[in-house]
Amino acid sequence: MDKKRKIIPYLYLLPSLAAFIVFMFWPLIRTIYLSFFDWNMIKPVKEFVFLDNYIRIFTDPITFKVIGNTFLYIGLLLIVNCAAPYVLSFILSHVIKKGKVFYKSTFFLPSVISLVVGSILYTWILNPISGPVAILAKGIGITIPIWSKSQGLVIVVLSIITSWKVFGYNFIVVLGGVSGVSQEAIEAARLENVPLRKIFFDIVLPMSSATGVYVFIITIVQGLQYVFTPIKVITQGGPNYASSNLIYQSYHEAFTLYRTGGASAFSIITMILFIALLLLEFRFVEKGVHYES
Amino acid sequence: MRKSLRKLIVAFMTVSLFLVGCSNNVEPNNSAVSSLSNTSGQSSSPQQPVQAQAQKTVIEYWHVNAETQGGLTVEELVSTFNAQSDTVEVVAKYNPDMYKGLMQNLQAEAAAGRSPAVVQIGWAFLDYFSNNFSYVEPQTVIDTHFPENKTFISDNFLPNIAALAENSSGSQVGLPYSLSNPVLYINKDLLRQAGLSDEGPKTWQEVQTFAKTIKEKTGKYGLYIQEPADSWAQQALIESNGAKMVTVQDGKIQASFASNEGIEAYETYADMVLKDGSALHLNWDEGVQSFVDGNVAMLYTTIARRAMVQKSANFDVGAVNSPAWEGKERALPSGGCFLAITAMTEEDQKAAWEFEQFLYSVESVAAWTIGTGYVPPRTGVSEAENGLKSFLEENKMMEAATTQMQYMVPWTSFPGDAGLLAEQMLLDMRDEILGGSKSARDAMIETQNKINELL
Repeated sequence: MDKKRKIIPYLYLLPSLAAFIVFMFWPLIRTIYLSFFDWNMIKPVKEFVFLDNYIRIFTDPITFKVIGNTFLYIGLLLIVNCAAPYVLSFILSHVIKKGKVFYKSTFFLPSVISLVVGSILYTWILNPISGPVAILAKGIGITIPIWSKSQGLVIVVLSIITSWKVFGYNFIVVLGGVSGVSQEAIEAARLENVPLRKIFFDIVLPMSSATGVYVFIITIVQGLQYVFTPIKVITQGGPNYASSNLIYQSYHEAFTLYRTGGASAFSIITMILFIALLLLEFRFVEKGVHYES
Repeated sequence: MRKSLRKLIVAFMTVSLFLVGCSNNVEPNNSAVSSLSNTSGQSSSPQQPVQAQAQKTVIEYWHVNAETQGGLTVEELVSTFNAQSDTVEVVAKYNPDMYKGLMQNLQAEAAAGRSPAVVQIGWAFLDYFSNNFSYVEPQTVIDTHFPENKTFISDNFLPNIAALAENSSGSQVGLPYSLSNPVLYINKDLLRQAGLSDEGPKTWQEVQTFAKTIKEKTGKYGLYIQEPADSWAQQALIESNGAKMVTVQDGKIQASFASNEGIEAYETYADMVLKDGSALHLNWDEGVQSFVDGNVAMLYTTIARRAMVQKSANFDVGAVNSPAWEGKERALPSGGCFLAITAMTEEDQKAAWEFEQFLYSVESVAAWTIGTGYVPPRTGVSEAENGLKSFLEENKMMEAATTQMQYMVPWTSFPGDAGLLAEQMLLDMRDEILGGSKSARDAMIETQNKINELL
């Protein structure tokens, strides 16, 4: 009887473990395996090339351009989808008094619309020659640069398009954390005439840091995956890889060039890079996080 | 206790089997619709009774035509065919993401050891397809099963058109089906406003002066040349000037676009974008949209966009033949696709040709042209009463494409595994030149060398 009690909980875990093995760990092992081969998905023979794929990737200047782009995306996404929701939810829960529900739903609404639809809409709205924004800008004498073909600018615009999807969700999550900060502490600070800026940085931010760290991480991890959609729909990584990131580049290797080995190697490198970032996060950020219970 | 444990294990195994089964069924197909038709077409049990009942061979036809891009015509043609054939039942299957998407699905299907009977293959994939997949030449099927129709291909296809579907080793991989060529759409109102002839330019040199004049007189842009993820339009531009994308040297295929003629053509194009500021370097959708909004006077793109341009433009719009270079003959790559037979059994191959022969009848080709905007791949349709006679009289813009069929050449597809990479390099080159980061000469020579190293 005792033995049974010990085994049964593990058996209940088995189905989900199986799902994880089939859909995550097995593909991961396969990816590592494939990264040592030269293959195009249909050739009957996979040619073993050992580290050639990795060597090619690290000697290709495009790789470094793409890694640079990835960090630029991360920086922009953190500003638009992590920092901005934080400030907004602070304003919403502790500063303003009226219209909270209206703002909450307005900010959240775009994230229920598909990003593909959003991308197509934005292509039209931001068309630098004939879109509504260009026409308005022309009215006041500004010419919109051709952003989809400009280095740097294209990443900024794609990040903004992605925020269409990510912002609302992150905002709701952060709002949960920020409104959980005890009202008494803030009231007390207000009575002492502590400036809002100080309340935000010294009270709200530390006390909601558990949520904050979560949003910080998913902004990077999910954000980079969401950016994939507008890249695919609008620029296909162009002009000349200026809007590609590590995730799109793996896809590009696999499904545009059919270089399975290169794509796998790219994915592994991406994974290692992300693990390194996470370790850094654990090392330096997690220490100062405030968990309530 | 043991019993319940065993039960649990069995339950677990069933669940995991189900999961694995699911992943196998769903993976090769991206859409729910295609996986649905796949299960009914592939798994043997539901198929048998149908066959036994109607004595029909069931084959699959893979196409890329979404509802807005001729998908309705595909359905209509297939159901007409199924109604009139006693021996063959065709199941049409839509593949998202155009020819590349179809190629991906075909890749997955081949990996699973299966294959549809008739597939649409984009021209750019001609060599890739014939190197990596098994197919049967249409003439072989005709000779084996329909000897009375021996001359069907030579009777109905212009030699330069049939040759489009020949790969670099001379095999007739399939037959041209969706055919398009590039034309120049013009905004006649803008041309008149700039004091130019509303007949449009005849040569690329004229295009350049037209574009410049338009920019100066109206402030609008003169020209947009399509820039999707392929170099189709750019091939027309440089090959019409006498350059060749590839040439055969000692039996080996070599990239050769960086000849003086090729460089000259690209330089003119780059000058219009960078120096004159009269042409645009933009994504395809943005460019077409800017033309139909009246912000660009001339649009160089495929005839397959005619219906959309005709419907969306609210100005006096026309289409003229693709411009030539002064004193030179045009060379216009074909867009669209050909039909290849990938059926594996003799019976399916016979059925596949029966279906193709229906698709290539005058009435079917006419329906296809009207439904999609492609030009008819075979002769005898444009002038036939049961063909396109009245349609062409009503849609004058089609004439720009149907009157330049004799100049059509194959869309260059680079051979071998490196082909796709070579295509990509041409796109990178286009961005470098039109973005102004490299001169046309430097970028072209560099890219040509890189591609030749690959090949």
